[in-house]
Amino acid sequence: MAPPNNQKRVKGVQIFRPFVYGSTAKLFDPATNPKPPGTPEDHTHSWTVFVKGVDDTDITYWCKKVQFKLHDSIPNPLRCTDFPSYLLPAKGIYWKKQANIPILAIEAGAPGTPFQVHETGWGEFEIAIKLYYIPESLEKPQTLYHHLRLHPYGNTETEKETMRQAPQIISWAYEEQLFNEPYEQFYDLLTSPVDRSKGAGGKGTKMMKGGMVGSSGERTSLIPLSCRPGQPFSRETEKAELKRLREAQGKVEEMTKKLQSELRDTEKELASLKEG
Amino acid sequence: MTSHDVRDMLDLPDAAASRPTKKQKISTQRPTLKGLAREVQNLSGDNPIAIVPEISVFKKRRFASRKPAAKWELRSFKNPAREDDSLTLRHWRRKQETPPAPAGYDGSTDLPDTTNPEPEIERSAFAKFNVQVNVPDYTDDEYNKRLQNPDWSKEETDYLMDLAKQFDLRWPVIWDRYEYEPIIPSMDVETNQTAIVVTSKVRSMEDLKARYYFVAATMMMLRKPPIQMNTAEFNLHEVMLNFNPGQETLRKKFAEAAFRRTKEEAREEESLLLELKRILARSEKLNDERRELYARLETPPSTGNIGIYTSSQGLQQLLQQLMTVDKTKKRKSLMVGDGVSPAAGPSGQAQNANADRRESSVRESTTGPSGAPGKKGAQGPSERRQLTEEEERIYGVSRHERLTSGPAFRLERISKPLISKSAVQQTKISNVLTELEVPQRLIMPTAEVGEAYESVLQSINVLLEARKVADKLAGEVAVAKAQKAEKEKAARLARGEPADGDADAAVNGTGEAEGSEVKQEEREKSVAASIKGGGAHKRSASVLSAASDKNTKRQKK
Repeated sequence: MAPPNNQKRVKGVQIFRPFVYGSTAKLFDPATNPKPPGTPEDHTHSWTVFVKGVDDTDITYWCKKVQFKLHDSIPNPLRCTDFPSYLLPAKGIYWKKQANIPILAIEAGAPGTPFQVHETGWGEFEIAIKLYYIPESLEKPQTLYHHLRLHPYGNTETEKETMRQAPQIISWAYEEQLFNEPYEQFYDLLTSPVDRSKGAGGKGTKMMKGGMVGSSGERTSLIPLSCRPGQPFSRETEKAELKRLREAQGKVEEMTKKLQSELRDTEKELASLKEG
Repeated sequence: MTSHDVRDMLDLPDAAASRPTKKQKISTQRPTLKGLAREVQNLSGDNPIAIVPEISVFKKRRFASRKPAAKWELRSFKNPAREDDSLTLRHWRRKQETPPAPAGYDGSTDLPDTTNPEPEIERSAFAKFNVQVNVPDYTDDEYNKRLQNPDWSKEETDYLMDLAKQFDLRWPVIWDRYEYEPIIPSMDVETNQTAIVVTSKVRSMEDLKARYYFVAATMMMLRKPPIQMNTAEFNLHEVMLNFNPGQETLRKKFAEAAFRRTKEEAREEESLLLELKRILARSEKLNDERRELYARLETPPSTGNIGIYTSSQGLQQLLQQLMTVDKTKKRKSLMVGDGVSPAAGPSGQAQNANADRRESSVRESTTGPSGAPGKKGAQGPSERRQLTEEEERIYGVSRHERLTSGPAFRLERISKPLISKSAVQQTKISNVLTELEVPQRLIMPTAEVGEAYESVLQSINVLLEARKVADKLAGEVAVAKAQKAEKEKAARLARGEPADGDADAAVNGTGEAEGSEVKQEEREKSVAASIKGGGAHKRSASVLSAASDKNTKRQKK
């Protein structure tokens, strides 16, 4: 990696990449979701917290590693001598050694595979998700917060009820990673299709490994046009949201207008009162 | 050459006696030194040469094949590919080695030898190469339905099919042998003489092929619908269906013309082709050069600060820099082959950085708030790849006036104006949002959604301000009413009337009108303000809100 002072930022440019993070939880059920052996008695749910590309596109070309900071009560196997086997991390996943708090770091695997942690538990808590960018970006890691949902949630009872009916509790969020004024090397990487990074020197080849294998090779910021099951974020959703916001704005403006006309009336009243 | 020879050349008297003895010696040595030229051997003089000559050893003759000569016999065979079964031909074949029969049975062994091969007359090994062509067959009915052609009679078509079968679709042969005599309908002799003699048409090979392929393709389709055909069949069908006799004739004519052209013509053609190639290459080069020139013309002139170069020290530094750049450039140009590589070496990069800084500062100063983003992109440094608008959309590139560099999340950015507000304000805004059924957390925080959200927040702010003013006004009205009531009361008291419920009712009424959130002191203040500015009665709501804004600011302070 070139020393940072050799690199300059591309001024006035912002590049974004969409991604999805969130959690999926499932109640233990002997028929559909049996408890894996070794799970503590009081655990009621199995859950997964993840960070991945929209429509499972590759994000590993800008995101190198993701750290999930879990709840203190979850044992870090590196601290405990006798940890249950189900907590043994898979390849590319490791627990932070020094940490007194359970932090799981997931290294980028094959492109298109999500960064995710499978766990079991009984309680909801806030998970701090720290995104580490690829070294070429020269950027510091950033933190997101996600509230793990195990139980149905929502503003109304009907929302909760539909969630109760669903096989799993889904709490996913769409987010866009903004790179403001990226460094030039990173800019090139972000604005080129996979094959172009080949020429980007020694580092390029390393990333090539990632880019070539995946079927979702295109490194774009595009999101799908329409929703599919298991893929709720798309242009369609965006349009719906825009529509709702515009409607809301219309309503607010109407309310303001009404209020202002009322104001004028009260003013007049006040004036008449003072004169009187 | 021996010493004797040298002496001989120099006409020196030789010791004649020593010569014959030497010669004898050499002759005795010779067999051991085979393979060396005599002259070379003689060079050594009397001493034997210490070179071990290679003794070539020939392979030993193989005696393994020393067998009695193989016996051949004339054997008869048949070719099943032939139509006439009776023809028996003969050819020479190696005689089969029969196991040596016990001696004394010489006569008896001969008998089975002659009888045995007789029943199984050999079949020719080449019979399998006689592959029969599958010529389409059709019934009269099929012909009448599908294969009618005004140019071809059925008889002639049959004849063509026969020929095709006979000559295995070897078209030149078929064409050569094609002599169709149209059958003259049987008539009387007299009429026959007067009848027009139907001349057989001269058919070209293409005509024959076209007819045959048409019939074959049609029959193929009839026997098996194209959907059920396998790929090979379907391809064949397509090829046959798309046979174009005109094109074929043209092709043959062209090939023939190409074949018959003279040497000069051929040479001319070749040279013309070469010329064309050269022209194309040249134009490509020209285009490249032109493009490069344009690129150079397009790069913005650097109007950077030259202040640092005015001092002698600065000049020295510049010189050094340029020299190092030059060096690296030379090295680079040797490697790459183009003299103008924009980024060359570390010092070149440093200079680039300089240029970039300069450029960016220029850009910032020249483009006003209305600077078109597209133009800015076009202005970018030449070494960076220029993105088209489409690419910018694909890669999510956008340009902004002011950016804090580094990674960030869109939702954070979007909700920043909300979060930066006070807790009271936040709850107020979120209350309005829930009222509007807008979720607290945006589902799709994209750029567009962010803009919409921002404008919603703005209008909510306006609404909240209006509400605040309304509350305040209501308070003022209440106070004014109370004052009025007070005055009336005082006036009534002065008149000596007893206080009645009239004033109370007024106070109660204003109490209802009061906003619950309005605090007492705020009311008093605003009263003071309204008293001060009592002259301006018809202030518009916006002015009011502005005034109240100032009020709130003062309060914050």
